[in-house]
Amino acid sequence: MKTLEDLKNFYETALMPDLKVIEQQRRSVVHKVAWVVIATVSIAAVAFFVAAQSLHEAGPVVIFPIIVGLLIGAGVCYLLTRGYVADFKALVIERIVHFIDENLSYEPKRCIDKSTFMLSKIFTTKPNRYKGDDFVSGKVGATEIQFSELNAVYESGSGRNRHRYTVFRGIFFVGDFNKHFTGQTIVLPDTAEKLFGRLGQKLQSLNIFRGNLIKLEDPEFESHFAVYGSDQVEARYILSTSLMARITDFKEKTGKKIYLSFIGSMVFVAVPYTRDLFEPRLFKTLLDFEPVRQYFDDLQLAVGIIDDLNLNTRIWSKE
Amino acid sequence: MWIAVGIGVAVPVVVVIIIYNGLIARKNQVAKVFGTIDALLKKRYDLIPQLVATVKAYMQHERSLLTEITEARAKAVSGRLSDDQQVELDNIVSKTLGSIMVAVENYPDLKANQNFMHLQRTMNEIEEQISAARRAYNAAVEAFNNAVEMFPTNIVASMMGYKTKSFFEIAAEQRENVNADKLLKS
Repeated sequence: MKTLEDLKNFYETALMPDLKVIEQQRRSVVHKVAWVVIATVSIAAVAFFVAAQSLHEAGPVVIFPIIVGLLIGAGVCYLLTRGYVADFKALVIERIVHFIDENLSYEPKRCIDKSTFMLSKIFTTKPNRYKGDDFVSGKVGATEIQFSELNAVYESGSGRNRHRYTVFRGIFFVGDFNKHFTGQTIVLPDTAEKLFGRLGQKLQSLNIFRGNLIKLEDPEFESHFAVYGSDQVEARYILSTSLMARITDFKEKTGKKIYLSFIGSMVFVAVPYTRDLFEPRLFKTLLDFEPVRQYFDDLQLAVGIIDDLNLNTRIWSKE
Repeated sequence: MWIAVGIGVAVPVVVVIIIYNGLIARKNQVAKVFGTIDALLKKRYDLIPQLVATVKAYMQHERSLLTEITEARAKAVSGRLSDDQQVELDNIVSKTLGSIMVAVENYPDLKANQNFMHLQRTMNEIEEQISAARRAYNAAVEAFNNAVEMFPTNIVASMMGYKTKSFFEIAAEQRENVNADKLLKS
């Protein structure tokens, strides 16, 4: 486990030269973008005045090129930044991933498969707009893991009736669990119990689409989560007293509503985020330690799930 | 008016049916989990001869422990015991197994033996599954007892002659922490 001190050393010795190179690139991109914006806006302004003069005849005919011009300007800005983002990820994020653990590999454009996402049965709505990036995979100790950022959305209707429902946005983690099991156990954030107590539990047990409600003994765990599973004994075999305590601690560490499921001898963890992770800043210098620390913290949170859930303890029949 | 009478009769009947079925379901859940515990205990008993055979050659000084556990196992699988006797025997087996596992610490050759390591993992797994099954049993008993004691299900329960069941509890002597020092020196 790398500490903040280790990170600082890494940042100062190994990362800084690359950061300086990327910083140059960032500055040049910012300049170019600034020029493109100024140019596009000036041309649009001039064209607008010209149109204003000849208002009656050619109004719409002149507006159209202005809009096209603005779009071209936006397109050029996008192309300029895209190269910068790709280089940043290859240089900086990849280095931080390897720093955390050499056995991990990083693919910036890839994400967890939609089939894997649905396999976890955490989210029952099938998203029709599914994308993600920053895919990390590898074997840490005895545990194979994969995780990436995901943005899964369900859009319905069209035109004015369009509804956008975010199924999940954040980090989605898949890991090899340390026990063999055959059924499914799903751990969801618990809202009903917090609000309604026993009545809430009754409502939860009526949720027939989710399988049997499993009532566990750890009161703190129960206050945060509602567990559904195919088998009462197997759910308790997976969710030992120590694992329940670990999950509660991990949830408190993230400060978010996390979701877990245990299917096919694997564990799935979904940590929601409202911001985009691992994206480089455009308008602020890259040479600060702060953004590097943020990238490290976010990556470490995901990789740390292995230790937090004690997945490398292999004292049962699964090696 | 007849509709009102009809509803006045139908609604309580439906409620009673729901309560009755609920009680049966909870009773059956307790029995089902009890059956699971039984099956797991049998798996554990089946592993004991293998364990004894693997450690016998190494653990020269632990003859008494090994004999004890072989005898306990023979009694357990003979099937001629009452429920209470079964539980007591099971407790003895748990304690003896625990002692054997602690004593293994004295034999580094045995600890490194592949067969033994594999056996140890299998036993760990079964112990954990037994513990999970016992927790599930207690949960099922709690649900059943709640229905038997709380209003209004207790009315139907007493008509059916259902009594509360007892939870699975660890025997008092097992609750004393294993004195590892004493065991390692013996």
